[in-house]
Amino acid sequence: MPTRNSSSAAVWAILRKECRSEWRTRYGLNAALLFAVTTLTAVSFAVGRLGDRTDVLSALLWIVILFAALSSLSHTFVREVEGHTLTLLRMCAGPTPIAIGKLLFNLLFLGLIEAVTVPLFLVLMGGPPPHWGVFIGILALGSAALATASTLVGAVIAQSRGRGALFAGVSFPLLLPVLAAAVSATRAQWVGAPVTFEIRLLAAITLALLAASLLLYDHLWED
Amino acid sequence: MEHQFSPGRGLYAATFAHQGHGCMAILGANGAGKSTLLRIVAGLLRPTRGSLELRIEGRDVAPAARRDVVGYASPELAFYDELTVAENLLFVAEARGLDDREARVRKALDRVGLVPREHDRVAALSSGMKQRLRLAFAVLHEPPVLLLDEPGSHLDEPGRALTESLIVAHRATGLVLLATNDPRETTLADSQLELSRGVGNPS
Repeated sequence: MPTRNSSSAAVWAILRKECRSEWRTRYGLNAALLFAVTTLTAVSFAVGRLGDRTDVLSALLWIVILFAALSSLSHTFVREVEGHTLTLLRMCAGPTPIAIGKLLFNLLFLGLIEAVTVPLFLVLMGGPPPHWGVFIGILALGSAALATASTLVGAVIAQSRGRGALFAGVSFPLLLPVLAAAVSATRAQWVGAPVTFEIRLLAAITLALLAASLLLYDHLWED
Repeated sequence: MEHQFSPGRGLYAATFAHQGHGCMAILGANGAGKSTLLRIVAGLLRPTRGSLELRIEGRDVAPAARRDVVGYASPELAFYDELTVAENLLFVAEARGLDDREARVRKALDRVGLVPREHDRVAALSSGMKQRLRLAFAVLHEPPVLLLDEPGSHLDEPGRALTESLIVAHRATGLVLLATNDPRETTLADSQLELSRGVGNPS
């Protein structure tokens, strides 16, 4: 009999398992880094340094982050279904700890992708020096919203047929406001405009997605 | 209770009760609903009609809490290929919040004869070794209820003997629900539930 079955132990165990599995298989990491580096290099060769085109720079930065990370973010649950390990996972922990463990992994994964992508982007694409505190805050909030949305959608579609098409359809309305707010905030910090509205919007979207996730996760996989 | 996946598929009108320790064999042709019944007991499926009550020491165990009191081994249970045998079980022990994890994992592996393979990745295991790992997973947290779905499948003779000894040991203190079509495994049961033509008849 278990002596201690806390949800936090399950969350931590799942996070560690995800990290170990990713490290052993490099399932998403290599593909994400390859996408980020090749895209930035190709755009850099094609258009050169964008200098003060902060509108294009902001959009390009978030497009690279989104596409580099998206396939892996959505696959955290799909891998469990396709590897037939979801039953094992469900026999170890409840749906909410499972989803939170995977959300934390997705956040870590995004952070790692950004740690490589963002410095490379700034070097290759140019642009005014960012206001680091605000810039990192926007990246953190945008990443939290992206990870929460894609984890939620990934969990919901994992056991459905045609999940690839479903992911695009279901995640589009969730990701669009996140990207719009993140791009707008990134541009605003570059030109020295106030970013309070965009930051509040990003924080509100993240909290709303997190609240919806916590309400929904317990009803996942009820056959 | 019933669980219909679609018309003609699933578990039909099974009615049974079992009190105290022992071993109940769940018999029936392919598609009669043996695995579905075990998944309902494990809390992985909800009956579409009727209900199942599991009481341990007079306390109802809700479906969401059954993972703590049930050990489940089934052919559909897969492990993480990229992790080793021991890492898979350590992950399970950690996620379940068990204390003394390494000792528990070692004990469970010892019970199924997998200690020599503990550092091998699951991808390198034969189907028989994977079946032993499923049994180790089921007994890892020493649950009062064991749900075994065709536990002898893929096993060689020593593996089958080991499974039988595990069932015999567990039925003395806990409950074993054994879904099988194997006459040899059926002899280990104290009672039987026959699922035939959609109707469960305890005998």
